[in-house]
Amino acid sequence: MKIEVTMPKMSPEMRSGVLCAWLKGEGDRVRKGEALFEVETEKVVCQVEAERDGVLVRLLAEEGDDMPVGAVLAEMEAQP
Amino acid sequence: MSARPEWLKVRFNREAVDEVADLMAKFGLNTVCREANCPNRGECCARRTATFLILGGNCTRNCRFCNIACGAPEPVDPEEPERVARAAAELKLRHVVVTSVTRDDLPDGGAAHFARAICAIRERLPGATVEVLIPDFKGDRASLDAVMAARPDVLNHNVETVASLYAAVRPQARYARSLEVLRYCKAAAPDGLTKTGFMVGLGETEAQIAALLDDVRATGCDLLTIGQYLPPTPQHAPLARYVSPEEFERYRRMALERDFRYVASAPLARSSYRAQEAVEAARARP
Ligand code: SF4
Repeated sequence: MKIEVTMPKMSPEMRSGVLCAWLKGEGDRVRKGEALFEVETEKVVCQVEAERDGVLVRLLAEEGDDMPVGAVLAEMEAQP
Repeated sequence: MSARPEWLKVRFNREAVDEVADLMAKFGLNTVCREANCPNRGECCARRTATFLILGGNCTRNCRFCNIACGAPEPVDPEEPERVARAAAELKLRHVVVTSVTRDDLPDGGAAHFARAICAIRERLPGATVEVLIPDFKGDRASLDAVMAARPDVLNHNVETVASLYAAVRPQARYARSLEVLRYCKAAAPDGLTKTGFMVGLGETEAQIAALLDDVRATGCDLLTIGQYLPPTPQHAPLARYVSPEEFERYRRMALERDFRYVASAPLARSSYRAQEAVEAARARP
């Protein structure tokens, strides 16, 4: 099943976030709870964890992109 | 300001954060975790802990370091203490931390509301310990008496910063008054624990930190937290510098030399961070 990886809303005021690094690449297998990408917030860098086991199929945002909350950053093929 | 150092990195577990947020929404409650945009939210929510923020989401003070909205105070909700207790029970908390916005508009500053929250939690969760992180109540003794009469396990009141930075950082507060709050509460319940915390990176010197540690310890204070100040927005008090983990370790040793029962000193240590561990460690100490 394909699922979308999106920019989380990490604070009540957050409108967008800068994706500062991908910690996994296309084709990588990821496990739920593993750090998937980093977002720069006002106070700290957040390592956002994968919410499902699966394979990262396609990255749709590049490092350095300022992405709105909810924007699709990648597609993942989730393991059933 | 220089680029963000490597050690200011946290994990963010969206599922856990959403779960706690949904639970709080269900009970109509605020958390300081969310309102203050605490960087530890991912971790604390993953451990299913949070710190309740009572008496509304708007604060009557305008501290220059704090992210909580300053605005018109909301009516006090008499049902709120009970909802806090129910949410704490649903989270199966063994240590419940309750804080509030500062309510200078209320005659008792909200002290009775704090006391009701403590009692409601005790009723529903008799095995849990309760920590209240209180405002200074303008130093009003009747308000402090009201809170202490409910016998919190930990009375927490943050001094926040060294004396010389109060005017710039906490203009509506007084350093001596905050010390007096800690002293008075310890004297009121010598067997209870008192706790305080402060931020570094606002421009304080090590000598000023040493003086603060002496002043706070002289009140009988048992537990201490020291963390990095992180400006919530560019409109807040400016960051003077990032303090390294090695310096935090030095501050921790300075505090332990003064015989605090427990000291958390780390870049992301916060007043309520792993508060249960703090109270357990303090109580385990002979
Ligand atoms: S450190 Fe305190 S305020 Fe921050 S998320 Fe944890 S419980 Fe909430």
